[in-house]
Amino acid sequence: MARGIQVDEIDVNILRALQRDARHNFADIAKNCDVSTDTISKRFKKMKKAGIIRGTTILVNPKSFGYDCVASIGVDVSLPRLNEVVELIQTIPEIVFFTTSIGREDIFCIAVLKNVGKLSQIKDLIKGHPLVRNVTTTIWVDEILLCPENFEFKHLGK
Amino acid sequence: MDKIDLHIIEKLTNDARMSFRKIAEELKISPDTVINRFQKLQENGVIRGSTVVINPKKVGYHCMTAFLIDASSMHILGNEANPVDSSLILDKLISMPNIILATKTVGDHDLLAIGVARDFQHLMHMSHEIARIPGVKDIQVSFWVEKSSLCPKYFIV
Repeated sequence: MARGIQVDEIDVNILRALQRDARHNFADIAKNCDVSTDTISKRFKKMKKAGIIRGTTILVNPKSFGYDCVASIGVDVSLPRLNEVVELIQTIPEIVFFTTSIGREDIFCIAVLKNVGKLSQIKDLIKGHPLVRNVTTTIWVDEILLCPENFEFKHLGK
Repeated sequence: MDKIDLHIIEKLTNDARMSFRKIAEELKISPDTVINRFQKLQENGVIRGSTVVINPKKVGYHCMTAFLIDASSMHILGNEANPVDSSLILDKLISMPNIILATKTVGDHDLLAIGVARDFQHLMHMSHEIARIPGVKDIQVSFWVEKSSLCPKYFIV
């Protein structure tokens, strides 16, 4: 399943602990797994090298930085010239994430903005592209629940 | 927030495991100050937590999906019709395995959830599970083909 990369129970324990708290003490994880701290640190490095772990990060609240509006933007494009629209989206700094998608829209973006007015400006900008057929915006309401630990690893390891 | 706070945030965004001692050295302040600042940023809700960023494909998750959910205005329980509380749907969503983000929305839909699935079959199963939540009227799925992160400086999914 993991395409040649072997992940065992110890690795899964490491991932689980770090999902909840990236600063989790390796010595604690080691104690729970009944191995040495050195083993945990080696495993962590191994998973990083294999690309399983991309890195660790803190989750910050955009509002604390004056970004009051989080929204998703769906873009409907005249296929197959998707790349030309992607190029435009790449230049918009407020769009923190985008992906081409199958289903309701052709491009799905997440934007973090100072206010709703800025969202409207960006919507108009994207809509102004000759290949864009339609743009839908969805504003995310206050409490965005992040739960990275919902990620299951049942199918891995044993 | 001052320069010290922003420096701490920047460093930890790139590597949440960076030692406070090292950050302190860079800023030429004491490690205790860094620890105090970190705790204060947590208390004030600026830093909401920390996590490991996993490449889903490497652990067998080949589908990332946004679920765009419409709630019905009423839901029928026995003979009673009750107004739907989208907070209850939100609670159910975020407690589902493999849903990593959920939020209420204003605009095209009522709620949005982001999930990871192993394959199409698993995705279908998740979609059916969401449909079973009382009050959910309709689900639209947007299946992510190619993931490109741009500048997740202030916000990480």
